[in-house]
Amino acid sequence: MKLRSRSYILISLVFFSSLRTMAQGNFSPYSQMGIGDLEDNFYNRTSGLANTGIAYRNNRYIINNNPAAYSALTDQYFTVEMGVRGAVVNYYGTPVNPASTQSGDITFRRLAMAIKVTKHWGSSIGLVPFSTQNYEYDVPYYLQGSTNELANHHYQGHGSVNKVYWGNAYEFFHHLSIGVEAGYLFGQLNQKDNLQNIGSGATLASTTNTVDLNNLYMQYGLQLYGKLGKKWEYALGGTFNQRNDLLASYNRVVLDNDSIQRNSQELAQTYLGVPNAFGVGLSLTHNQKYTFLADYKYQNWAAEKNSYPGKNYTITNSNRGSVGFEISRKKSFYNSKIELSYAQLGAYYGENYLQINGQQIKDYGVTASFGVNSLKGQNPLAYDIVLQYGVKGTQKNDLVQQRYFNITFVINYGTIWFTKGKKYD
Amino acid sequence: MTINKYQKREAFLLLSPVLLFVFFLASCQKQPILNFGSNYIGDNGSADIVVVDTATVIMSTVRVDSTATAGTGFLQVGQYSDDYFGVVRSRAFMQVAPPSLPKITVFDGYDSLYLIMLFKKGNPYYGDTTSELTINVNQVNELYQLSDDRQQKAFYSNWSFGIDPTPLGTAKVRMYPSIPYSTQGFADTVKVRLDQALGAHLFDMIYNNADTITKSQNWLNWFHGLCISADPAAGSKGAIYGFGDSAIMRIYYHEVGTTTALKTIDFGIANKSFQFNNITTDRTSSPLAKLNAPLPNLPSQTPPATRSDSLGGAGYVQSATGLNVKLTFPYLNGIAHRQDYLSVVRAVLTVRPVGNSFTTTWTLPPQLSVDYTDLNNLIGAPIPSSTTGAAQTGNLVVNYAVPQNSAYTYDVTNFIKAQILDVSVGATDKGLMLSVPSPNNVNSFARAILADGNAPTTQKVTLSVYYLSLYPHN
Repeated sequence: MKLRSRSYILISLVFFSSLRTMAQGNFSPYSQMGIGDLEDNFYNRTSGLANTGIAYRNNRYIINNNPAAYSALTDQYFTVEMGVRGAVVNYYGTPVNPASTQSGDITFRRLAMAIKVTKHWGSSIGLVPFSTQNYEYDVPYYLQGSTNELANHHYQGHGSVNKVYWGNAYEFFHHLSIGVEAGYLFGQLNQKDNLQNIGSGATLASTTNTVDLNNLYMQYGLQLYGKLGKKWEYALGGTFNQRNDLLASYNRVVLDNDSIQRNSQELAQTYLGVPNAFGVGLSLTHNQKYTFLADYKYQNWAAEKNSYPGKNYTITNSNRGSVGFEISRKKSFYNSKIELSYAQLGAYYGENYLQINGQQIKDYGVTASFGVNSLKGQNPLAYDIVLQYGVKGTQKNDLVQQRYFNITFVINYGTIWFTKGKKYD
Repeated sequence: MTINKYQKREAFLLLSPVLLFVFFLASCQKQPILNFGSNYIGDNGSADIVVVDTATVIMSTVRVDSTATAGTGFLQVGQYSDDYFGVVRSRAFMQVAPPSLPKITVFDGYDSLYLIMLFKKGNPYYGDTTSELTINVNQVNELYQLSDDRQQKAFYSNWSFGIDPTPLGTAKVRMYPSIPYSTQGFADTVKVRLDQALGAHLFDMIYNNADTITKSQNWLNWFHGLCISADPAAGSKGAIYGFGDSAIMRIYYHEVGTTTALKTIDFGIANKSFQFNNITTDRTSSPLAKLNAPLPNLPSQTPPATRSDSLGGAGYVQSATGLNVKLTFPYLNGIAHRQDYLSVVRAVLTVRPVGNSFTTTWTLPPQLSVDYTDLNNLIGAPIPSSTTGAAQTGNLVVNYAVPQNSAYTYDVTNFIKAQILDVSVGATDKGLMLSVPSPNNVNSFARAILADGNAPTTQKVTLSVYYLSLYPHN
């Protein structure tokens, strides 16, 4: 019991630490627009499949691509997953200063827990990033109509919108699973304008606009699955996110010399819309070993564009297609098969919800992963290492292209629930 | 029934600190330098910078009655006529020391007596150096000493001694200071032949070891000193030259022996701190004719200031003749009372010389310092640059082709920051004083005629106040 209590404390500590570390990361110039960089990755078992998993079901891992997948967990199973990502980004394009074109970071990305409550009911709670904002840049401030440089604007934007969710799935007729995920988006975006002395670099004045965002974002999922003959299994999946308005509360603080408060006030609240979105997926598994997957997702961002102010960019509909292939190595254990390891490949192509200078931002790349489960058959830990290379943006029209390489570690801990460490054969 | 004990929790506990460590690594990262984003910035209600360059600047010329011209190292001699400053005349007074006495025999013979002055390259000069000067050397005819009655501590430019109206000697010379060379043919040396009778008399006194020449006080009481002045040739503008204070009065004689040798006896300057230049001006036919003068016979008084609108819309700086320019900003508080005013970021003072007032002959002072002043019209503490902390001298940019592009500029941020909030009595008398910094304040006659606030926009004196602006948000 004592050990279990300590585990809970540590889990809590990791949870709250994650709130801080989720907000940090590599500079992303596009994150200053809209609600920031939207997170496409799930940092779970499907990461090596280019996050293709709307129709994916797994009995050990938490597949939060589709809330209907929670019902696939092994009976009485309790599992915890964490995702940590290391990323190296190279930046290209005319706005990039050749003196420094690369950044790297390591960030916590995900914490989730799931339990198979009853034979047909799986449930999961977790914390995942929804969007992040992280940028800094300088803009010389000239006297209007002259080359007389008065000061320097140093713009900073940091923050994130995260999602805590509670997802539930229920299986009907052994072939149909329906899931509902109640996600609560919350977070804070801090945008700071430091007006700096060009000589000394000292801050003359800083204006910090803090936007607090929160509201529900519901997702509904469905999976239909069964066998096709003796060797093939299929799964079809679909998800739907219901649009909602995030309540945006603004607070502005102006500091003289970055120290003396000159102005602090709460501004009128507004709403930032998160859109209707749907996704469909297909999965085909041969001989319980080879799995082919494909996903398509669409988000109706254009309907929300009026709620996002900004210049020289527009919010537009986004979509993403991905495919994945998995080889799973299993061994027979009594009447069932236990997975020992697996390898995955994936590819993706997406069009982002931002259209800047006439260019819709595209994001494409490939993934590969290798995972090891239960090395000694009953070890509760499983590991997954995911490699990802992708390209985001373009160098056209004075935009910045990011070429990124990610290494993601997914760690899964699983055990039988309500047995107090004892398992009855 | 079998019971399996798993090591799961222990492994998880071991792993957790590692994960935590990884999280904290997240803050150790480098970032690219991107010039990306300026096109996408909306109006986010940030603090802004507003420039006000229409602040009223009152310009006055402050006249002090004298300048400290003693012991400057230069004998300023000459006279010139300036269209803006009138006639400026400088005479050098020096006290001559008795010589070290050589052994003179009855056979040795006196030859001549000269005043010898040196003009080294780099010595100051001002005016039209193409004109010929007539240098006059007169003997001071009163005791060369500080006045006890006036409790005088030093000699100033407005001080002079009486002189014998008949010169001891004169010389006509045309000088080329940039070489330097004079038409006398002695390179950088100018010689004035002095009265021969005086020379012979001095030679006899030396031969006789007269008390007058062997006892210093007797000598000073008898000879007093010399006054060196110069008159320009008729019709010329004239010039003033700064000779070194190594000037000597020299007796030339010949020593008779197996061969005849030419010998000299030198009378140097007795006390260099007693050497001073008497500077006088005649401004009656110049724009400065209306300059307010100090009240006579009032030893301690505030130097009078004359507003630029009485002086042809300009301020006049020539510290050697006692003229400096004071600037005040009477309505500066108005900026601080603006609704959006937060604080002063920067303040730049730009002072421009009147376009046609300077040439390669009538040059501008290369440096004008800016100092604090108040209702007493005295030069106070320097106004330091807000970035370097150093005293400022204007960073003059001279453009003879486009004169209106010539300007002195100053970072007066520190002064304006204090002044803009100063509502005390007399605050409007506080201001800035522009003057020629030492040592040119006494050695150089270079002058500036500064356009006031009523001059055309591109030429007038301008105070640009950059302030942080934040409009109140509702």
